[in-house]
Amino acid sequence: MTSSDSPALRLQAVDLGYTYSGVTPTKALANLNLDVYDNEFLAVLGPVGCGKTTLLRIFAGFLRPTEGSVRCDRSSVDGPSAQRGYVLQEDAIFPWMTVRENVEFGLLAKNVEPAARRAVSSELIRLIGLSAFEAAYPKELSAGMSKMVEVARVLATDPSILLLDEPFGALDTQTRARMQDELARLWEQRRKTVLFVTHDAEEALYLADRIVVLSPRPGRVKAQFPVDLPRPRSFELRFSDGFSALKRQIWAALG
Amino acid sequence: MSPIGRARWTRVKRALAALGTIAVLYGIAAEIGRDRLPRRIWLGVHYVEGVELLPPYRSLAEETEFLVQSGILASSIAVSTGRVLIGFLLGSAVGIFLGLATGRAARVEYLAEPWVTFFRFTPALALLPLYVVWFGYGEMSKVLLIATNVAVVTLLGAHQGVRSAPRVYLDAAAALGASRKLVFGKVVLPLAFPEIFASARIALGLAWVTIVVAELIDAKMPSLGYLLALANAYPRVPTMVIGIATIGALVLAFDTLALFLHTRATHWMRRTG
Repeated sequence: MTSSDSPALRLQAVDLGYTYSGVTPTKALANLNLDVYDNEFLAVLGPVGCGKTTLLRIFAGFLRPTEGSVRCDRSSVDGPSAQRGYVLQEDAIFPWMTVRENVEFGLLAKNVEPAARRAVSSELIRLIGLSAFEAAYPKELSAGMSKMVEVARVLATDPSILLLDEPFGALDTQTRARMQDELARLWEQRRKTVLFVTHDAEEALYLADRIVVLSPRPGRVKAQFPVDLPRPRSFELRFSDGFSALKRQIWAALG
Repeated sequence: MSPIGRARWTRVKRALAALGTIAVLYGIAAEIGRDRLPRRIWLGVHYVEGVELLPPYRSLAEETEFLVQSGILASSIAVSTGRVLIGFLLGSAVGIFLGLATGRAARVEYLAEPWVTFFRFTPALALLPLYVVWFGYGEMSKVLLIATNVAVVTLLGAHQGVRSAPRVYLDAAAALGASRKLVFGKVVLPLAFPEIFASARIALGLAWVTIVVAELIDAKMPSLGYLLALANAYPRVPTMVIGIATIGALVLAFDTLALFLHTRATHWMRRTG
C-alpha cells in the first residue's frame, strides 16, 4: 500500500504515557503507539485496569498526556470537542431529561433551531427503535436502552469520530449481543471512525475491523489483529471457524 | 388511585395515627395528673396559685374558644406566618444565589466557607441585640433575623448541591460541546435541585423556630411569639400548649406542602418503594 491510496490518519498516539499523580503514582500507559484511520472501526482490547479508559479519556480531551502526544487530524488534542463523540463507561444519560431532550442536548449546545433539533432526534430515536419512548424519562428505560440513547445523543451532532468506552460492559450476554447488532447496524448506516474500548474479545471480534491488544498496566500495544470477517456480521458468524480461530489467537495474545 | 396517590394517602393515615396517639396519651396524662399535680408553684420570687401544669382538654378548649373568638389566634397566625414567609423568601433567595455562586466559583469558595461555618451554629438569639441596634424595632429586624438563619442553611445546601454534581454528567455534557453556561443551567442546576430543596425545607422549619425569638423584638400583640412570651409571664399553661401546638401544626402543614412540591419537581429520580 502506497501513501497516496492509504486512508487518512484520524487519531494518533505517539509514545504516549500517562501517570496518575498521588501518594502512590500509578503508571497507566507507557510508550503506547496507535493509529486510527478514517472510517475504521478499531477495538482496543485489554484486561481490566490496563489503562483503556485512560487512553480514551486522553483522546476525548479530558486528560493531558504526561509523556508523548495524541493528535486528532494531525493537530494536538486540547480539551473535549463535539467532533469526537465520547460515550463514557458509566451511565451518563441525564435522568432529569426525557429521551428526546437527552438526544437533543448536543444540538442545543450548538444552538440548533428547535425544529431542526426535533428532526434529528426523531430520526435517531427511530433508528435505535425507541420512538415509543421519546417522551419517557430514563428511569423507565432498561440499561441497554439507556446506553443506546447515549450513543444516539453522541451521534446527534454528527461527529466524525466516536470514542466508545465499554458501552455494553454492564449488560447481560443476551442484551449485549443485541446491542452489538444495533451498534453495527448504526455504524454501517453512518460510517464513522470508531475507537471502541472493551475487555470482551468476542465483542471486539464481532464489531471491529482491527483489534489492538493492550498489555496489563502500564498499557502498551502488545499485538494487533486485522479482522477480515464479512459484513454485515450475523449471529451465526459468532460460531464460525474463522471467528473461533481469531478468538483463540486473541486469547493467546491476552495471555 | 395511582400508586403515588396511594402511597401519599398511606403517609397521611400514618401521620394522623401518630398524632392521634400523642393526643390521646396527652389527654390520659392530663386526666391522671389533674388532682395529683401541684397547683401552687414557686417561680423564683413568688408562688403562683391555680396553675395547671398539664391542662386537660376542657381547659384547652375554653382557652382555644377565647383565643379564636377574640380573634387573637387568627391574627397571631397571620402576622407570624407573614413574617416567616417574607423572611424565608428573602433569606432563601440570597442564600441560594450565594450558594450557587460559591459552588460554581472555586476561586471565591475559601472566602465564603469560614463565614458559613461561623454563622451556621450562631443561634438567632445571639444576633437579636445586634439587629435591634442596626435595624431598629419593627418588622425589618424581625424579618432579617429569620432571613439570616434561612440564608445560612440554604447557602450551604446550594453550595453542596453544586459541588456534589457527579462528574460523569459534567464530562458527558462537556464532551457534547456544551458551554459552561449551558452545563450550569441544564446539568448542574437540575442535579443540585434536590439538595437545594432539602436545605430550603430545613430552613423553613428553622424559620418557625426563629420566629418566637424574632417576635421578642418589640413584642406587640398579635403574634405567636408574643402570645408565648405573654403566657410565660402569667404563667398560663393552656395558652402555651395552644401556642406550641399552633406552631407545630403550621410547621407540619408547610413541611407537607414542601414535600409535595419536592416530589413533583424530582419526579425523574429513580425511586424505590
